[in-house]
Amino acid sequence: MLSLGLNKPLMWAKPLKMMTRRMVSTAKTTVSEQESILVAQRKNRPVSPHLTIYQPQLTWYLSSLHRISGVVLGLGFFTATIAFGVSTVFGLGLTTNNLAKWYHEKVPTWMDWTAKASGAYLLTFHFGNGIRHLIWDTGRALSLKGVYTTGYAVLAVMVIAGTSILTW
Amino acid sequence: MFSKGLFQSQAIRALHSTSKRSLTIPFLSTLPQNPGGVKGDVNDACLPPPSPDRLHGSVPWDVERVSAVALIPLVGSALASGGDVSVVADSILATVLLGHVYVGFQSCIIDYIPTRVYGKNHNYAMYLLTLGSLFAGVGIYKLETEENGLTGVVQKLWTASNHSEEKK
Repeated sequence: MLSLGLNKPLMWAKPLKMMTRRMVSTAKTTVSEQESILVAQRKNRPVSPHLTIYQPQLTWYLSSLHRISGVVLGLGFFTATIAFGVSTVFGLGLTTNNLAKWYHEKVPTWMDWTAKASGAYLLTFHFGNGIRHLIWDTGRALSLKGVYTTGYAVLAVMVIAGTSILTW
Repeated sequence: MFSKGLFQSQAIRALHSTSKRSLTIPFLSTLPQNPGGVKGDVNDACLPPPSPDRLHGSVPWDVERVSAVALIPLVGSALASGGDVSVVADSILATVLLGHVYVGFQSCIIDYIPTRVYGKNHNYAMYLLTLGSLFAGVGIYKLETEENGLTGVVQKLWTASNHSEEKK
């Protein structure tokens, strides 16, 4: 008994305290009342934090960039093809030469360079990272090391190939 | 020590009393959400169980991979040759790219305009994407039959300004 420490007063103080604390009034509730209390409590639930709480890491930054680059390139593709489609259906007479003439005369140089730089770097990134995703789909390079190695490789491809396309 | 503890408790309190701040698209109407995002009582795992959907199988996944793999040589050869590809190669490139972009935009609509939050607007976004893709298909037909194709457009927009700059 001595070894268990049951003779120490501290051992008994805690349960006694808890007993007194439990002397609160309780109320009987119906099922529908319980439901309404539950719904009211759910309104007070904390909201999970958004993306800003996470540490910036190559993994999810490249993942975001993959979708952003895909959307930007897709919008460019749709803008061009839908313009030609609408022009064909409604007979507006848009041709490649018309479009190129308008582009080179009206679009300012900074906008031209912005568009070309986005196109070159985002296309090479999406191309390279797409291959990276296809490698993952075969079950390869799924370790942390593999993810980082391929990630940096894709960034290197983007810088080299993107710059070479931009200075074509 | 004291100040650190104080800050920590303040941070925790701030996190737990955060009001709901959803990032929603301003001009689209949203559905009212259940308190805490939960429906039913504590014993309901899921109300109602999700209905079977043909988009939830593995076939769409395979189709996405096929289009992605097919685009590697198509885009790769177009980039390597500086846009000088045959009409057949350009037609296949533009058609597969249209499918790839269509599927990609579908994923974006599923993620960012979900039925759970936006209701009917999800379907309208899908219809709009399909309508745009039909016009894009017409545009691609026009480009391949009467113009120099999709790569021809890119080539013309990309290179002509370099020549004009050289002239200056």
